Amino acid sequence: MGDPAAGERAGSGEQSAAGERATAGGGTAVAGEPLLAVADVSIAFGGVQALAGVSLAVAAGEAVGLVGPNGAGKTTLFECIGGRLRPDGGSVRFAGADLAGVPAHRRSRLGIARTFQRVEVFPELTPVEHVLVAARARQGGGMLWRDLVRRGTPRPDEVEQARALVGMVGLADAADVPVAALGLGHTRLVELARALASSPRLLLADEPSSGLDTTETAVIAALLRRIQRERGVAVLLVEHDLALVRRAVDRVVVLDSGHVIADGPFALVVADPAVRRAYLGRSA
Amino acid sequence: MNSLLNYAIPGVPYGCEFALMAVGLVLTYRATGVFNLAFGAQAFLSAFVYDLLQRADGMPQWVALVVSVGLLAPALGLALDRFLYRRIPQASTTGKVVVSIGVLIAIPELVPMVFSATTRTRLGHLWLPAGQVYLHLAQTPITGAVISTVVISVGVVAVLAAMLRWSGLGLRMRAVVESRRMAQLEGIAATRVAATAWVLSSVLAGLAGVLLLPQMGSLDPTQPLEFTALLVAGMTAAAAAGLTSLPGAFVAGIAIGVLETVVQQELPSGSVVAQGIIPALPFVLLVAVLLLNPRLRTLGRDSDPLASVDPPPPQPAVTTRDARLALPMRWGFRLLVVAFLVSSLTWVSDTWVFPFGQGLAFSVIFLSITLVTGMGGQLSLCQATFAGIGAFTTGQLAAHLGLPVLLGALAGAALAAVVGAGVALVVARVSGLLLTLVTLAFALFADSVLFQFSWSGGGLAGVSVPRPQLGPVSFAGDRAFLLLAFVVLVASAGLVVAVQRGATGRMLAALRGSPAGAAAVGIDPARARVTIFALSGAMAGVGGALYGSIQGPVSPADFSYVVSLAFVLVVVTTGSRTVEGAVQGGMAYAVIAQALTYVPTRFAGIELILFAAGALTYAAHPEGIVEYQRSVWLERVNGLLRAHDRYRQERGGGVGPSRHGDGGYGSRRGAAPGAPAAAEVVGRG
Repeated sequence: MGDPAAGERAGSGEQSAAGERATAGGGTAVAGEPLLAVADVSIAFGGVQALAGVSLAVAAGEAVGLVGPNGAGKTTLFECIGGRLRPDGGSVRFAGADLAGVPAHRRSRLGIARTFQRVEVFPELTPVEHVLVAARARQGGGMLWRDLVRRGTPRPDEVEQARALVGMVGLADAADVPVAALGLGHTRLVELARALASSPRLLLADEPSSGLDTTETAVIAALLRRIQRERGVAVLLVEHDLALVRRAVDRVVVLDSGHVIADGPFALVVADPAVRRAYLGRSA
Repeated sequence: MNSLLNYAIPGVPYGCEFALMAVGLVLTYRATGVFNLAFGAQAFLSAFVYDLLQRADGMPQWVALVVSVGLLAPALGLALDRFLYRRIPQASTTGKVVVSIGVLIAIPELVPMVFSATTRTRLGHLWLPAGQVYLHLAQTPITGAVISTVVISVGVVAVLAAMLRWSGLGLRMRAVVESRRMAQLEGIAATRVAATAWVLSSVLAGLAGVLLLPQMGSLDPTQPLEFTALLVAGMTAAAAAGLTSLPGAFVAGIAIGVLETVVQQELPSGSVVAQGIIPALPFVLLVAVLLLNPRLRTLGRDSDPLASVDPPPPQPAVTTRDARLALPMRWGFRLLVVAFLVSSLTWVSDTWVFPFGQGLAFSVIFLSITLVTGMGGQLSLCQATFAGIGAFTTGQLAAHLGLPVLLGALAGAALAAVVGAGVALVVARVSGLLLTLVTLAFALFADSVLFQFSWSGGGLAGVSVPRPQLGPVSFAGDRAFLLLAFVVLVASAGLVVAVQRGATGRMLAALRGSPAGAAAVGIDPARARVTIFALSGAMAGVGGALYGSIQGPVSPADFSYVVSLAFVLVVVTTGSRTVEGAVQGGMAYAVIAQALTYVPTRFAGIELILFAAGALTYAAHPEGIVEYQRSVWLERVNGLLRAHDRYRQERGGGVGPSRHGDGGYGSRRGAAPGAPAAAEVVGRG
């Protein structure tokens, strides 16, 4: 079991650096502007309007849930924020900078980390190596040269930090096992560790409980809370499992057919008649 | 206008040939998901047999046609399906391309061995007498050859297109390519649909072969010049049709035939234009179509909704070895290396020292394939071109500037790195099959244009690369040179291992494993590809300089696209993911060639057939069949060791040593390079 505190210290140090880069690179940071500001985003696939003028904001350090029936546009919105899809209209701003035209890999370096609905891990690599890859990628180039000088051995402090992070998500026992040999519950934790390795300011979590049993889901919920509270990372969580949403977030945004139909604290939103209609059909 | 038409009309029969090739490529891709580079070889087989029957056995034309196209071609199609492609339905597009390269190389090597005949000349035409003029179109005489080519091509493609469109077969084929398992769940007999597609495309190939032979003279893919023109134009037309539309491919093929004829006649025939620009145009057109046709963007992207149920690819063999085997194996390996060096520096005869040196040079070139394919996950078909750049640069610099060979080799490596980075920049936005096709286009271009100048590859005359000299030490002798090559190989292998184990290797493993996940952590795929292509280019350049230096005179034929394909076949057979694979491949490639000098020349093709056969297993064993066999044997030894442990435990004779291959970075010291994973894990995957 590694020392979790070591990872935390390193993490918080790098975090402010990431923030500085974001503002320096993007330009117009406005005081009081939320960390993530999605304004009036629309996108259509053929004739299907997947998102129709969606706006939402996530403040620094805040945990927000994004729920809605299947086909509501949740994952589409995620891809617009993550950079794999380009919206037809509207804007996505992060830390005061407009993200239009910024490719996915650059968004990650600005401080947006994410996990996937269908896990996207690197089968040949171990959890520790996942964290090493992510931590290195954020620093950009110069890799090849260092590999040649150090004959491919990572620096001991890098490895130590990576082990600490893997330990923090509870994977210390599987830290050196290629991920291909791990079960789905473990791979979701690997994705979380990898996301944290880049010291993000915002974590996009796309249905982290899908395919997991209740125990594993509870682990994820607790972990998301810890990530938000202890590391100050803002979380935007897409999820079907409302029990997980209730435990992991402060505020819930409800999407239906590409529109935001509710936005507020969990208890209020769940009681909202419009939300009940969207989930249960007109007659409810 | 009339004169333009005069130029255009002779282009139509050429265009028909390109069109048949294009239609064949589209048909197999649409129906089976295989970009069948072997289409030309299938055409060659039918044409060869047709020629043989008609000529040697004096059969009537139609009997020869029935045997070669009506019987042989469908049988070949069924065999390809039954024994190759049906076994690998879930393989990646790249894996299937490798298999088709194996077929492409194997058939022309196999044919002369079986039929013991090598001469192929132009033959009489199908249907109408070739030379007879039937009518005039815009004052251009139209011969029987033209009429029969056009009429038969159009007729065959029309029948095919109609069949696919109206019989429901086309729809079923598309379903099977989209998701074979999903189609099966819907009650489609996927295997039968695929078999039908292979039979159809094989018949088309056969017919194309018989039709093309009189025009092209030779369809042998190892006799490149005319076949290159066919391949490039066919690929261009197929790409222009987005690899989906049969009529589109046909029209595009004819358009390219006409275009090329007109350009050749109309453009000024000044020396620079005629020698440099006009020959380059088909390649530029091919690359432009590949990169700019938006319909090709999704090519080779795995869209199978059931893909996630596939098991992950196997781990490289070395990770399965018992910790107790590490030490003996490492010392055994060192002993082997020392024995090789000592014996080849002392008592081994000169006949064998030379191929040993060649093998070391090949090994360095093959390490470049380890970098770009094994680690970078991209199949490059222009590695011999990079090697050629290294060799020719070294030779030219030595000849014109008197630059020492070792410096020249460095310059050649640098130039090859720049060219490699350039290729990667051109394909920055694409990967997979598209990237592979662009590298093939580049190799073909270098082959027939770039290396043909006196200042580059020297054309047929070639370039002479001297042996190096380091101060007072001369490496002119074969044994001295072998020592030098060995040192270079060790340095190169060290570099590859460092990159593989280091951050770059992990980054590339991430990109191979999940492009989306890699982007999510901030990895720039285009930049990673530029890095690995540059590094790979440099490595191939050094290897090429070594090879040139040991050979002395080298010519573009030593680095042609067929050589690139052969290199790929060798490395995917012995293992593209490890340094051992590259070295085994390099040594085997040279040593087997030397050994075959002791058998009749007719059987010289055995070597390539051997490696082609190895490559046919690539889709099933992407780590290389040799590597796979090695892991099977290692597993057996592991099993024996485990049984021995159990036996000792039952006897109460103390606890056997635990089987921990646990590396991890903290405890790496004991683990062998490249074996970070716990040994017991792999069996579960």
